[in-house]
Order: sequence, then C-alpha cells, then structure tokens
Amino acid sequence: MEFDWDIFAPLFAHTLTFWWVIIPAIFLGLVVGAIPGFSAANTIIILLPLTLAMDVEVGLIFMVALYCSSRMGAGIPAILVNIPGTAGAAATPLDGYPMTRAGKGQQALAISFVSSTAGGLLTTIVALLAMPWLAQVAFYLHSVEMIVVMLFGISLIATIAARDTLKGLIAGFLGLMIGAIGADAVYATPRATFGFLELYDGVPLIPALVGLFAVSEAFLVIEGETILSGKGQDLMRKAGWAETMEGVRAALSRWWHIVWTSLIGLVIGVVPGAGASIAAFVAYQQSRTFSKTPELYGTGHIEGLVAPESANNGVTSGTLIPLLVIGIPGGATAAIMLVVLQYHGVTVGPELFIENPELAYGVFTAMAVTYALMILTILPLSRYMSRVTMVSTTYMAPLIIAFTLVGSFVPREYLFDMYLAFAFGVLGYIARKTGYHTAAILIGVILGPLLEQYFLRAMKMSQGDLTVLFSSSLANILWVLLILSVGFPYALEYRRKRLKERE
Amino acid sequence: MTGDSMAERREKKSIGGDLVIPVAALVFTLYYFSTILDSPWTAQVSAFFVGAILIALIAAFLVKSARQIIRKEASWHFDTLVSPPGLVLRRLLLLVLTLAYIALIEWGGFTLTSFGFLFLAMLLLGGGRNFRLALLLSVSLSLVGYLLFIVAFETRFPVGPFEALMKPLF
Repeated sequence: MEFDWDIFAPLFAHTLTFWWVIIPAIFLGLVVGAIPGFSAANTIIILLPLTLAMDVEVGLIFMVALYCSSRMGAGIPAILVNIPGTAGAAATPLDGYPMTRAGKGQQALAISFVSSTAGGLLTTIVALLAMPWLAQVAFYLHSVEMIVVMLFGISLIATIAARDTLKGLIAGFLGLMIGAIGADAVYATPRATFGFLELYDGVPLIPALVGLFAVSEAFLVIEGETILSGKGQDLMRKAGWAETMEGVRAALSRWWHIVWTSLIGLVIGVVPGAGASIAAFVAYQQSRTFSKTPELYGTGHIEGLVAPESANNGVTSGTLIPLLVIGIPGGATAAIMLVVLQYHGVTVGPELFIENPELAYGVFTAMAVTYALMILTILPLSRYMSRVTMVSTTYMAPLIIAFTLVGSFVPREYLFDMYLAFAFGVLGYIARKTGYHTAAILIGVILGPLLEQYFLRAMKMSQGDLTVLFSSSLANILWVLLILSVGFPYALEYRRKRLKERE
Repeated sequence: MTGDSMAERREKKSIGGDLVIPVAALVFTLYYFSTILDSPWTAQVSAFFVGAILIALIAAFLVKSARQIIRKEASWHFDTLVSPPGLVLRRLLLLVLTLAYIALIEWGGFTLTSFGFLFLAMLLLGGGRNFRLALLLSVSLSLVGYLLFIVAFETRFPVGPFEALMKPLF
C-alpha cells in the first residue's frame, strides 16, 4: 500500500481527462450542498441508477467530485444568509455571517473557497502519503478516546458562553437535553418524545439546523431592508474583483492555520461515524484557543472562518481512507460509494491497492483534480454570489422560509419534520432576540447524542466502571490536551491582565 | 402609561424575554425526567447528569434575575422579544402564514402551496406594494423549485393538483 510516485503523475493527467464529468458534478454538488436537507449522500442515492450504469472509474470520479463540492457548497449560504447547508458547515456562520453583514461577503466567500480548496488538497496529498498509518487511527480511537474528542467539540459551548456565561451554558445544556430525546442506545427506552413516533430515532438534524438558523433568521432579517448593515450596503455596492483577491490573500497569508486545522479534519474524518460537524467545531475551538486575539472570534474574524472550512474539507479525504484500506465506510457518502464499488465487483481493502492501484489511488487523484478545477470555476463567481445579500428582505425572508422548510422534509419525508423545523425556528428566534447563542444549542443537539452513544458503549464494555475513561494512554494524553486547551485561554487572559496591570 | 413610567422603563433592563428560554428549558427537563424515572440506567445516566447541571444553571440565572428586579435594575417586560413594536403584527401574520404553509402543503402540494405562501408573504412584508413583482417572483420561484426538486432531482416533495396535472409531461 506504499505510495508509488510513478503511478501518480500519469494518473493525475488521466483523471484530468474526465473534466467533462467533474465540472457538472462540481456544480451539482455546490447546489445540493447549499440547500439544507440535500446532501451529497442523498443526491448520489437519487442518481444511483446513473452511477451504476456508468463505467466504475467514471462513476467513482463523479461521486468523489460531487462529494467534495457539496462540502464547499454548504458554506456558501452559511456565509451569505446564516444558513448552513449541512451540519458540517454549522460552525462557518459564526464568523462568516458577521463578515457578510459588514459588507465583506465577497471576501468571506473567497476565504472560504481558498481554505476549503487548500485544506482539501493538502489532506488529499497527506492521505495519499500516509494512508497505511492513517488507517490505523480508526483502530486506536475507541469509544473512550472518542468521548474526549467529543468533549473537545462540546467545550466550544464554554467558548461561546464567554460573552454571557450563564446564557451560553444554558443554551448549550438545553441543546444537549434536546439531543438526548429519543430511544436510548442500549434498551431503546423512549425518552421525552411527547408521544411522537417520529422522535424515537432522536431529533433529526436537518429540521434543527433549518429551524435554529434559517427560519429564525428569516423572522429577524425583516427588521432591515437587506441583511447588510448600513455601512455594509455601501461597501457591497462598491465591491469589485479586488475584494475577491483581498479574500484570497487573506486566506493564503494564513496558510499555517489552514494546514493544522485541515489536519484536524483529516484525523477526525478517518474515524468511522465521526463527521464534518465534529471536525469543524473542534477546529474552531482549537483555533480560538491558540489565537492571540480570541476576543475577535464571532465578530467576523478571518481565522474563525478559515478553521471550520479547512477542517470540514479535510474530513472528506479522511472518510474515504477506512473505506478503501479496511473496507469500512467513514460516512454516509462513503457507504454509498461502497455499494457502487461492490456492484461493479470491486473488493475494497488492502488487495485493492495491489490488484487495482489505478482505481484505489484514482479516488484521491480525482479529489485533487476536483479541488483544482473547483477553485478555478467557483472563485470568479464569488463576486456575483455575494450580490444575494443586496436582495430586499421582503423577497428574501419568504424564500428562505419556504425552501428551507421543504428542505427539512426531504431526508425522512415526514411532514412532522417541517413542524419540528418550525418549532426550532420559534426557539431560535426567541434565543437570538434574548441573547442565547443558537450555535451553542446546535452543538448540543449534534454532539450530545454521539457523546452519549460513546459513553454508554464504554460503560457497557467496562461493566459500569468509570475508570475506563482513563484506561488507555492515548485517552489520557487526550484528557490532558483537553484540560490544557480549556484552561489555556483563561491562563492567557490572566497573563494579559497581569501584563496590562504592570504597564 | 405616563411619561415618567415610560422613561423609567427605558432605563431599566427588560428581562422578561430573557426568562422564556430558561423557564421552557426547566419545564422540558422536568418533563424529560418524568419519562425516564422507571427506565434502565442506560436511559437515565446522561439525562440526569446533563439535566441536573441545566437545572443548577437555570436556578443561578433565576436568582440573578430576581436580584436585578429587587434592586430595581431590571423589569419583567418583554421588550427585547417583541422589538421593534411596529413589526409585531407583521411578524405574527408571517408566523401564521408559515404554519398555514406547513398545514396545507400536504393537500396543495409543493408548487401551489409555495406559490401561495411566497405571494402572500411578499405582499405582507412589502406592505401591499409591488403586487406585480411579488406575483412574478412567487410564480417563477415555485416553478423553478418544481423543475429543480421534483423534475430534475426526483425528490419526493408533497404532491398536489399541479404536480398531478404535470405528471404526464415529465
């Protein structure tokens, strides 16, 4: 499975000849990624008859291109209208949307595109070089270690709560309680379902996302003529190509930030079941922890946008490693790719790299080519996309409500999910009007059930012995890192205050 | 309301709205606990742990709010929640329209119900102005939605008379 450079160059050139598949897949992926409720996974399912009819290589390239571009597409509405297209982009509006409101939507889009592309490309190369070792990550990260990884993400609640501790923590813990609705993972006992069968599987993510972000946003934006501030409108009217280039430069000058946050995404992506949302939250939290200006996060800070966008694209290559190397899909899209590969008689696992190296490595070269073509096609569009923010809220708000509510219907096809999104919309509206952070609620809803699942698994395996949480060296290292990363900002703040006092 | 009391109210922080989320969270947590009292420990452990912390946080918040009220630093009013006052009726009507949209989509189908909702909501938010633009936008957006989601992506959106009528064509 060692990487052979002799295969790579011709393979890259060969993959480029499939541009006619990649470019339409890019645009399709951008559209489905941007609409809440649609995703690469369900689009590939819809198009399964088409992909199964294609040659295995073409089908795989099509799916990979769609997967990568949908990840980037999810960030576009998150930045422009505060509506993440998927849960993986839930951390993007924290700083992306304040930039848009200030009239820097074009720069924010360019930063997002460059960070996503650079993060995706870098992790693709790292994945190619370190595939045998990265595949081992999934073996080392058991439920105990994953509990600590989840806590890294959840500790972002404390970060968000920094501005109003009580309100932030109440929002986060309410989210965790909402996330715990549904049957428990061991005995399937229904909990707090209000008698609705639709809630037995837990609170579905898309209605929560649509309600907390989109519906509440629609009810709030009608206070202004557009979503932009007064100064923001002036800036947007004058914006030209220079603003796109400003965004590109801003992202590239933070190359080191892109490198390490995308690697967080890659490592988390390798773990089956862990997703882009965890990676994005962990990367954002870590980015803020080690920042010299943590107080600027949440106000339209560039690093606050770079971190989640690099990380969630880093996940993309990570999820494909366990699929190809050990035959275990790292996520829903990877699982569908497995179905297509098996349909064509391709056996995944180590032998794939010996028997069919062009196909195995071809997945990653397709990813690299997709990112390269994607930045070329999408970057010039950022100027026109950002004009959406100039649309009057009279027309924007009803559009957001209608299309996102129907989007919440799509994943499960339950009308109940539309009512649920409405209920979350009311909750989100009240929360935002009274200073409770909706992102803190969403973090709880997303990560709470996962944390409980890993915790119960660990408890079952240890027969209720809590010391299992400290039973492995890796877990203990992660615990120390968690304590350090939570305590570090407070220590830094204390030191800053002391220095100021001395001055 | 007299001028003095208006001025006094403006000076004080209105915390009535701030209490909605904590009170709702408290009611929900107690309801949650009531559903797991007789459940196995696996169903209880994380809920009791998280719920207990949430109740403690809410208690701290309520104590803090009560102290602000006693010290006359804050009032029970809900100003933050309903501001700006001029938009209250419009917002409430939009809320009703949204609920009606969800309730009717099962029978009216995606295209017709979306058209009705978009048109009425645009008229409502525009104060009845730009009738033609609202009509044009709502017709074109609902048709684009139909072509993109139902025809192109073959998504199983709620179908109604329009979709049934168009089925032989697509």
